[in-house]
Amino acid sequence: MDLATIIGLIVLVVIVVIVVWILSFYNKVIRSENRIDNAWAQIDVQLKRRADLIPNLMETVKGYMNHERQTLEAVTKARSAIMTAKTPQESINADNMLTGALKTLFAVAESYPDLKANQNFLQLQDELTHTEDKIAYSRQHYNDSVLSFNNTIETFPGNIFAGIMGKKERQMLQIPEASREVPKVTF
Amino acid sequence: MAQQPRLIDDHIRKNKRDTLLICLFMVILLFSVIFAIGLVFGAPPYIMMFIGLPVALFYILITYSFSVQSVISAARARPANPQNREEKILIYKVEEMAIAAGLPTPKVYVQDSKDINAFATGHKPQDSIICATTGALQQLNTAEIEGVIGHEMSHIRNRDILVMTVTVGVVGAIALLAEIAFRMLFWGAATGRGGGGGGKKGQGNIIVILIAIIFIILAPIFSRLTYFAISRKREYLADADGAYLTRNPEGLARALEKIKSNQPKDPKGSKTVAPLYIANPFKRALKDSIWSTHPPIDERIRRLRSM
Repeated sequence: MDLATIIGLIVLVVIVVIVVWILSFYNKVIRSENRIDNAWAQIDVQLKRRADLIPNLMETVKGYMNHERQTLEAVTKARSAIMTAKTPQESINADNMLTGALKTLFAVAESYPDLKANQNFLQLQDELTHTEDKIAYSRQHYNDSVLSFNNTIETFPGNIFAGIMGKKERQMLQIPEASREVPKVTF
Repeated sequence: MAQQPRLIDDHIRKNKRDTLLICLFMVILLFSVIFAIGLVFGAPPYIMMFIGLPVALFYILITYSFSVQSVISAARARPANPQNREEKILIYKVEEMAIAAGLPTPKVYVQDSKDINAFATGHKPQDSIICATTGALQQLNTAEIEGVIGHEMSHIRNRDILVMTVTVGVVGAIALLAEIAFRMLFWGAATGRGGGGGGKKGQGNIIVILIAIIFIILAPIFSRLTYFAISRKREYLADADGAYLTRNPEGLARALEKIKSNQPKDPKGSKTVAPLYIANPFKRALKDSIWSTHPPIDERIRRLRSM
């Protein structure tokens, strides 16, 4: 083997390594972008699920809480805000509104012993809390996915190819500090 | 806040690399045992590879394919009943942790036992199972259950069941091969035909054969110790990962405190999968020991609280 062949082989190996790396980087970016989209779909499913539970809740509390007009209206308003939200951040804001309204409703419900003894109400309360937790966790998963995507496309040398692929940093969902507190519904 | 996940991420990556090294070591150990046996009986290495390797692989395959059923039936676990409020909350918590981990929801099982414990099993995330004892459901509050489920979910996400069953398979295969080698050796000695064609070879060969025999004696012990070491590492990893999922290390720390003060009275299940429980269902190590499947609970609590 002469020198030219050896150099040729080395160049070939280097090229193959680079090509393999680019392919795997490309797949990694696509995969983690899909994970973000899927994470968003998860949040959306949970938001809809929560909104769907509200009419049942209203039906259940109606007989007991006729005098709490304002509280009930706030819940209904927040629900329709979820249904009409267009961007992720709008949905999250509407959901925060609903969380606040429900917190008030459950607090007010404390002073209605009959309602608190209602099995249907208890079950809905459990389920709403559960959906609330699910939303919080899917939001967390969304932000985790965004973080790992951003890390992938912003660290060297990936940032060069991410630029060529036209991938930009994604925004995490911002949550106001107060709404991190889940309405405390005791089990 | 942004800094925290990165730190834990690095920690997880390091742990994964270590585990890979240990698994590699197990495979090398298995190969060495096969070669050592070949040496003792004077058989050429490639013949040993043709016999020993299929036996070992077959053994690992059997252990792997029966692991899930054997775990569930040994634990006498049953599917959780959504009509029961405690079990329903367990189902809820499993669903929530699956979302946080970005995994499909595992099946939820319950084991009737007064002890506080939980385990995860399954070959891959798509067909995994999480099981908690009734004792855990009764004595732990929601945040603590969440911590425990986060820990189990991490076992699933890290493919611990796969690593552990493969390791159990290797440990078993080494023990089996060593056993077979000894029986043949003793039988050979009794009939006066020890060590194949070894008699004609020189003094040096006898020393090599002696070393090989000592190695075959020690290998099962070695492999068992490695298995325990992997298990302990995976526990720390699942603790860290679980705390990352719940963003609340205190929940798991409190649960571990309750487990600590509630020593096992009512053990069920199989010893092979003891590492997949949140705490060893048979006995609890209070001090660091190379023979325990789980790290000492105090140390786990300390690490969780320092996150």
